[in-house]
Amino acid sequence: MSPLDAPVKRGGAGDGLPVLGAALARLDGVAKLEGSARFALDQPVEGLAHAVLLRATIAAGRVTRIDAAAAEAAPGVLAVLTPDNTAPLAAASSWTGAPPAQPQYRPLDAEIFHHGQQIAAVVAETLEQAQEAARLILVDYEAVPAITGLDDPRAGDGDPIDMLSKSWGDAAAALDKAAVRLTLEYRTPREFNMPIEPHGLIAQWDGEELTLWEPSQWLDGMARTYAEWFGLRFDQVRIVSPYIGGGFGSKALALPHGAVAAMAARQLGRPVKLALTRSQTFTGLGGRPATRQVLEIGATAGGRLLAIRQRGWNETSMNAVSVEPLGSVTGLMYALPNFDSRQNVVPVHTVQPGAKRAPGENPSAFGLESAIDELAHAVGQDPLALRLLNDAEHDHSSGKPWSTRKLREALAAGAVAFGWDRRDPMPRSMRDGHLLIGWGMAAGTYPVRRTAGEALVGILADGSVEVASSTADMGTGAHTILAQTAAEALGLPVERVQVRLGDSRLPRAPVTGGSQMAGLMTGAVHKAALAAREVLIGLALSDPRSPLRGTGANTLRLEGGMLVAPDGTAYDVSAVLKATGRERVEALRDTLAENRLKPEDHYRNFTTVSTMRAPTDGDYSMHSWCAHFVEVAVDEALQTIRLRRVVSAFDSGRLYNPKLAASQWKGGIVMGIGQALLEEGLVDHRHARLMNDNLGDYLLPTNADIPEIEVIDVGEPDPHASALGGKAVGELGIVGVAPAIANALFHATGKRLRSLPLTGQRLAEAG
Amino acid sequence: MSTPRPLTLIVNGEPRALQVEPRTTLLDALRERLDLTGTKKGCDHGQCGACTLHVDGERVLACLTLAQQAEGRRITTIEGLAGPDGTLHAVQKAFLAEDAFQCGYCTPGQIMSAVACIREGHAGSAAEIREFMAGNLCRCGAYPHIVAAVQRAARALEQETLA
Amino acid sequence: MMDFSYARPADLAAAGAALAAGGMALGGGTGLLDLAKLGVARPVAVVDLTRLPGLDAIQVSETEARIGALVKMSRLAAHPAMRAALPAVGQALLASASPQIRNMATIGGNLLQRTRCAYFRDAAVGSCNRRNPGSGCAAVGGVTRGHALLGVSPHCIATHPGDLAVALVAFDAVVETWSPNGQRLLSVHDFFLLPGATPGQEFALAPGEIVTGLRIPLAPVARQARYVKLRDRASYEFAAASLAAGMSLGVDGRIADLRLALGGVATIPWRARSVEAALIGEHPTPAAIAAAAALAMREAEPQPDNRHKLALVPALIERTLTDMVGEPA
Repeated sequence: MSPLDAPVKRGGAGDGLPVLGAALARLDGVAKLEGSARFALDQPVEGLAHAVLLRATIAAGRVTRIDAAAAEAAPGVLAVLTPDNTAPLAAASSWTGAPPAQPQYRPLDAEIFHHGQQIAAVVAETLEQAQEAARLILVDYEAVPAITGLDDPRAGDGDPIDMLSKSWGDAAAALDKAAVRLTLEYRTPREFNMPIEPHGLIAQWDGEELTLWEPSQWLDGMARTYAEWFGLRFDQVRIVSPYIGGGFGSKALALPHGAVAAMAARQLGRPVKLALTRSQTFTGLGGRPATRQVLEIGATAGGRLLAIRQRGWNETSMNAVSVEPLGSVTGLMYALPNFDSRQNVVPVHTVQPGAKRAPGENPSAFGLESAIDELAHAVGQDPLALRLLNDAEHDHSSGKPWSTRKLREALAAGAVAFGWDRRDPMPRSMRDGHLLIGWGMAAGTYPVRRTAGEALVGILADGSVEVASSTADMGTGAHTILAQTAAEALGLPVERVQVRLGDSRLPRAPVTGGSQMAGLMTGAVHKAALAAREVLIGLALSDPRSPLRGTGANTLRLEGGMLVAPDGTAYDVSAVLKATGRERVEALRDTLAENRLKPEDHYRNFTTVSTMRAPTDGDYSMHSWCAHFVEVAVDEALQTIRLRRVVSAFDSGRLYNPKLAASQWKGGIVMGIGQALLEEGLVDHRHARLMNDNLGDYLLPTNADIPEIEVIDVGEPDPHASALGGKAVGELGIVGVAPAIANALFHATGKRLRSLPLTGQRLAEAG
Repeated sequence: MSTPRPLTLIVNGEPRALQVEPRTTLLDALRERLDLTGTKKGCDHGQCGACTLHVDGERVLACLTLAQQAEGRRITTIEGLAGPDGTLHAVQKAFLAEDAFQCGYCTPGQIMSAVACIREGHAGSAAEIREFMAGNLCRCGAYPHIVAAVQRAARALEQETLA
Repeated sequence: MMDFSYARPADLAAAGAALAAGGMALGGGTGLLDLAKLGVARPVAVVDLTRLPGLDAIQVSETEARIGALVKMSRLAAHPAMRAALPAVGQALLASASPQIRNMATIGGNLLQRTRCAYFRDAAVGSCNRRNPGSGCAAVGGVTRGHALLGVSPHCIATHPGDLAVALVAFDAVVETWSPNGQRLLSVHDFFLLPGATPGQEFALAPGEIVTGLRIPLAPVARQARYVKLRDRASYEFAAASLAAGMSLGVDGRIADLRLALGGVATIPWRARSVEAALIGEHPTPAAIAAAAALAMREAEPQPDNRHKLALVPALIERTLTDMVGEPA
């Protein structure tokens, strides 16, 4: 059977299941549609003062003097915080749990490492007063030359990150012998996450208790950081984040502005609201760092891969090491007998880079999947056929078998839906009037990451069920799929389940990132729900007041809110709870490994990423897979590139809610379109200043940029990946989009662009 | 010069008295003074559309409108869109049915924009909807579903009119 | 923003007095409030002109369109008689900004919008001759892919951001103003000032002078006019390059009248007169059009980041005129 004849399954991998796997609408949807969903900065907190940050206007050097007299005298001003008048905090350990290099941390620092670094804060009665007063502060600097980016000669080659070195076989020897050898350099620019909800928080102290209303992808990790900064116990910090206005990786860590807000609130003894301006969301935190990678590819004349040698560089800040692992997918996608990958990080004067959707996998796939297309062209093969030729039967990196890999199915299903067989392979061969039409494709992958989670499930006397966890729902659909999980486990309609998330007082959860939330939290909720059911049944059987007392062990069933005995006698849950004098029964369960049950392990598990398991931790190598097919229309003379359609097929394992999974996939594709065609931090290389720090100049895609997107599910439950069979969803969609578009652009024009974004200007400059 | 001065705004059909400085925007007045936080601040410079609401029935940006400018005008925010009995507007229903949002932060602006887009007669084709909804950025990438929701709502509203 | 005062004058006399006293005019707010939040505009007194009576009419006759300064962009764009008489105006408006901004921004304010030069828009950048005359130009040598190639001076290379104004320049509109000295009619060609040595002087307006409206002559050439805007993002972005074009052919098949104006590439809305002159009286053959279009950027002074527009602009002219020949209105 040719791969293109492979059977294509449409619809969700969860089809047929009554509750979990159903395409339900979002349970938190109505609140968001009515405007009643209170995001962090929407909280009505009495007595708020407003803080505004002042930023450095140099990129390197130091602040020599801050004159805040006029600001302090301005109407409504309560305090001006500067490096001179604020005490340092204790430094916090890193997100991996590594202890800090320095004992102290100054969120307002006179030493300047990047343009836009926060150097002072004004707190006033109103936002308007604080904003205006911040303009009245005079700052003197002693500037030194800044290193502006990867291309700055002073930046040098950077520092090797040994942890990212990977090799097997003998890449050098294989390259020397290869019939076909390509050396290709790919670049991605500084990119920014840009959730539409800007970062910000309300901080309030009550004695030694600190409450923060702050959007958070990782409440426990952020609470730990705040606790360490301010010398508090973990349980003295409470983070409340019921809704998150998008994060995409940027809201997982406590950031310098948060420290300032909490400092100001403590100093003033009243709650302080601090929202970054949109411009400050470009300088107060970093997104994806700029990257460069050189791929040397060796193959047979028939296109079989022999070796890849990769050298990668990503920029980082002067005072922290952030890595964007460019070798993430390079050795994973295909059968690759010889591989050698190394990476350096290059310190430059920029804000510390962060994590933007699929950090590592995304730029890694841009390089590899562009290069595979170039190889296909070089050996005269169809790029889809070349991928199938080099399909990996197992993971060459770990030597382990795949748990599930439906990449061939994704390629086949996408190709059929797209009509790939009608593609004329010749570049510049397809036209529509003035437009050159290009069809391109690329594959993608994202690993299954796993950290233990914890959930509380309560069965209440009114027959409803409550699920509680400190995990976050930033639009991924956690509220909905966790309700579905509990409903499924307890045999109840989903409307009876209330889900409470986003409060660090609730049971612990690890970072909502790395696409691990759905798999691990459904597992925790499922386990807790079954345990709560057992408690309920136990109560019904053994409590002397229970009408079902003594029916016999292991005989009761819970169905539709009724406890049913073998003889058909049935009582509803509320009747049983009322009879036994209970308001609720509940169970708290975690998915920690048996050997990690000590309190310090428990704490470490949720407040650092140190216990996150690699996709190859176990007997299998576990990943999600996807294939994207795109059509571009290029007006060469008018230097205009537009996307016409996208068809993508995904293997994310079992889908807990296909409707919401489809939204996640499409959202990733849309962000990938922005990355491919529009998004680029533009740095003035005289001053290391980001020039397009706003949404008019840093271009996110608009609705008008996005064509029809068809998504196809080819996954099936993966029993190794998670308790209920799901694999990564949210980060997957973006991986492979940019190279698919670059490949389509080549097909349209015969011009290969290897730097993102793929603009009309770059196309024109390519000649 | 300008201590806060009294101002009455007509918000969702109700007169609301407040004290604001002349420099206070309609967006900050709604959010910080009237506790109407459904209207969101995304960029504060007219570059994202998150603060879209209706003034005298037309969609505008609250971040670039002074509260004073809105004196005497009819202001409708997302909180005022559903019916008095809480029945969701056809556009709200369509957003739920089509899953036209994820995080929900740009959503009030999208919905207010979509209501106006249909009312203006700019919901004729998918291409027209995309162009006339281009002033509302959605970073979760719900655009294809927003287009579907606008089409669904436009059909529903047309049925309502016929009936 | 500074703690400014706010006034809503009831008539032009009061408005003029408030402006002459140092007030800043507020129309839709999309320009002034944006710049005030950036600290680039520092109003002490804001004069809200939006409720002045009598400035929101659109009148279209056989020969002329008259548009009040307080007409909103969206209303003008949708005006049926305007769309028929001068489609390029509606197309330019609909290619501008977003639906929300078009519902707010006035035609008068649109004419007076300021450049999007990032160095101008960052109040912390010391060198900007537009903001601080004599301080220098930080843009030269910086990130300049959006900067001007035409009409530049060593003192300023900031691009005029408008769309409507490009159409107005193509069709010889006249700006009506009011000041205590009375009404004045000013050709749009004289309204926008080249930066030269005084980039801070952007408009030929006296202090306290108020733009009250526009008059656009409706020549036959206007009826077939169109506006084409190029940009990376499909919508809601300023132009990489734009063109307002009108062409009419005589009975002999030769070009009788031709209007071409460029946006996105010049310091003011830019009439491409050399291209017009080369084609008027000629047959609109592909060769003639191509040869003439190539003249458009002959005077251009590119920056390192915007050389791609040297080819883009002639291509835009060539394509647009070729299309117009092929698909007469």
